[in-house]
Amino acid sequence: MASKGTTLLQAGLTMAKNNDTNVKRQLPPCRTACPAHVNVQGYVSLIQKGKFRDAVEIIRKDMPFPAICGRVCFSPCEDACARTNVDQAVAIRALKRLVADIEREQGRVKSKPVPNKSNEKVAIIGAGPAGLTAAYELAKLGYPVTVFERMSELGGMMRYCIPDFRLEKFVVANEIAYIKDLGVEIKTGAEFGKDVTLESLRKEGYKAIFIAIGAQLGMKLNVPGEDLEGVINAVDFLRDVALGKHVDVGDRVAVVGGGNSAIDAARTAKKRGAKEVMILYRRSREEMPALPHEVAEAERDGVKLYFLVAPKQIIGENGKVKAIECLRMRLGEPDESGRRRPIPISFSEHQYEVDTVIPALGQVAEPECIPKELLDMKARVPSMKVDPVTLETETPGVFAGGDIATGPASIIEAVGAGKRAAVSIHLYLTGQDLRSGRDEGIEETTWVKNWDSLSKKERRYEPPSAKPRLSFEEAARYLESIRRKAMFEAFRCLGCGPCAECLANLDLCEGDKAIVDEDLCIGCNVCAVVCPFEAVKKNEDGVAQVNEDLCKGCGICAARCPERAITMKKLTDEQIESLALATAGGK
Amino acid sequence: MENNEPKIACFMCNFAFCQTEMRIPSNTSIARVNCIGRIDPVLILEMLEKGADAVMLVGCKPPDCHYIEGNSQAEITVKVLKKLMCLAGLEPERLKLLWYSPIDKKSFSSYTKEYTEEMRKLVLSPIKKAVSESPLMINILAAKNVASEFRLRVLLGREKELTESVNVYGEKIPIEEFNSLLEEIVASEFVQQKIHVLTQTKPLSIKTLSEAVGMKPATVLRQIVNMRRRNMMTLDHIEGTTPFYKALEVK
Repeated sequence: MASKGTTLLQAGLTMAKNNDTNVKRQLPPCRTACPAHVNVQGYVSLIQKGKFRDAVEIIRKDMPFPAICGRVCFSPCEDACARTNVDQAVAIRALKRLVADIEREQGRVKSKPVPNKSNEKVAIIGAGPAGLTAAYELAKLGYPVTVFERMSELGGMMRYCIPDFRLEKFVVANEIAYIKDLGVEIKTGAEFGKDVTLESLRKEGYKAIFIAIGAQLGMKLNVPGEDLEGVINAVDFLRDVALGKHVDVGDRVAVVGGGNSAIDAARTAKKRGAKEVMILYRRSREEMPALPHEVAEAERDGVKLYFLVAPKQIIGENGKVKAIECLRMRLGEPDESGRRRPIPISFSEHQYEVDTVIPALGQVAEPECIPKELLDMKARVPSMKVDPVTLETETPGVFAGGDIATGPASIIEAVGAGKRAAVSIHLYLTGQDLRSGRDEGIEETTWVKNWDSLSKKERRYEPPSAKPRLSFEEAARYLESIRRKAMFEAFRCLGCGPCAECLANLDLCEGDKAIVDEDLCIGCNVCAVVCPFEAVKKNEDGVAQVNEDLCKGCGICAARCPERAITMKKLTDEQIESLALATAGGK
Repeated sequence: MENNEPKIACFMCNFAFCQTEMRIPSNTSIARVNCIGRIDPVLILEMLEKGADAVMLVGCKPPDCHYIEGNSQAEITVKVLKKLMCLAGLEPERLKLLWYSPIDKKSFSSYTKEYTEEMRKLVLSPIKKAVSESPLMINILAAKNVASEFRLRVLLGREKELTESVNVYGEKIPIEEFNSLLEEIVASEFVQQKIHVLTQTKPLSIKTLSEAVGMKPATVLRQIVNMRRRNMMTLDHIEGTTPFYKALEVK
């Protein structure tokens, strides 16, 4: 376990250091790449030490869905990982999934309800990832939060549009139960615009409202024959399956689109008994927005992929779908999304005989749900006008985020929006400037030099997904092997961020800061010289000042201060001494 | 058995520490700190003074430090302290800097066992038998004063700056030159501090001082002149033609 890991680790670290001497002073690239800024290096380094439960706690500090994201996140953190310079990115998502699963299997510690510290009620509309994250963050701050949800179960797209084989329902339920336990009030069956409106919420005394209803409406194909029986949108199809409704897809199914929901719909159709399932995508494989490993899984399930074809019309017989007529495409110049624009080739019409057509072209918000005054009239698709940083709308006290504001995106982006909204609402309710205290300082840091190596190779590390049936003794050995594999994978992390990222010892690392005794300080500037993080500086009076945001509590300045004017808040010299004398002392 | 076992005080970097892999021998006590660069040189001498037979600093192997250069700071501390311990009459082997990582092939306890064996050969720390007025205790006290003294600490803090980048005049000091300068300063500081400690209780003449320090009276006189300039000493009284000096309280 040791030798290879260590040498590679050092090789990578030296590379990172040579690249930029200030490397360790910045946040690690994985954290800056994550829309929710999850402390990746922190939990990976805890996994190194085998502290799996603490690792989950670190994730929960930044977002409430470790197990969900461990399954379906598109992991921008892995794309930014500096380990790519050495060999291959650390399997961050797989590690997250593993620790979250182990915690759930062993029985999660129930979250304690946070007592209300404020009387300002907050309403959150929509119990998807954005809404639930905002509820989670605000509940932690002590606000009485109510979540309104139209459907009978919580989770939004996570629950209804991601099929069971990718994201199990009990996983979603478990993570949501954690949020509920914090004391969040939930009202299901309340549709925005009908059962609840902005006015009714204001009358009930809600001081701030966060609209996160998402984009629930599947986009239309806009070809003739779309009203025929047997055309069912991917979102509706997946939702019906998730609700347990009987959906008959027939023998041959064509899915139109190349995103993750297209793949999900195709795999679901295959698993529901369709003999032949094809995905029709108008660009080529490289341009597919779906995750490569999802595509590979679909192919393994027997889904056929047809590239460079676009539907021209759906041909029906007796009001039912009979075939889909398509055009061949070729790729032209890149468009505004950076992908090459497909251009139809004339007279290339051809037909596929199908029983069901599932358009999966993406989603838009339902315009009738949005209050008229908040609707963005200029946008191409119905969406809401919001400030991109603070997420506030033009109506004071009303915020909106997630898919409704940004167009369909991913879970982790919605989580990021939920976090931003929670900060905004907190600032709004406490009467502060909405733009203060934002993590503007978080800039993308990345030093992946060889972008070609980013092509996703087959993962070397995969978390165990199926549970084998084992005897007690075998199970213990199996669990130990899983633990060791995960720890080994975590050891591949180069730890490029600053130290306190890892919070390996919460009691020690968190909040240990240097304090300067201003009467003793003579302004010699030695502390500023030795500080690795430029956290101590002389002010105009020639007295050292500690910047607590930058100080990581290493204590080197305390050890070097010529006048011994610097002490540490938590671990003073006397405490270290008494610790070290515990057994060694005694004359 | 109890008496022969050398007691080791161990300071350990939090990042080198791994709970699950640690079997700590009973003769060793571990104080975890955020970074091994956190350890003040005075603290180490204090450990030795208070009865530890040896002090071990455990940190992460360069270049892998979570605080970038904490371990190189620890190296500087250890380098100077070994010099000071030599001057004070303590074996420099009593201080050890160990690079360790939880993924090392060798376990931490085997490192400590090895070190304990090494220390067994040195027998027990002479400090344990020493009484407070003995020359050794005076030496240790002087060494502690040197370690907490301004001049040395500034040099230690600035070593990396001076030898690795340039100073305000655009000069870069070669590491050899810096080391010899450091040695000179440590030696002269040690003599001064020793004189200071000796004269704290009663005024002493240059002759007695030169016997106690083991130096020529002329050298001692030069140091005393320097010390008077630094406001560390004063002339107490004159007996016949012999001046007697007394230490002044340093703030």
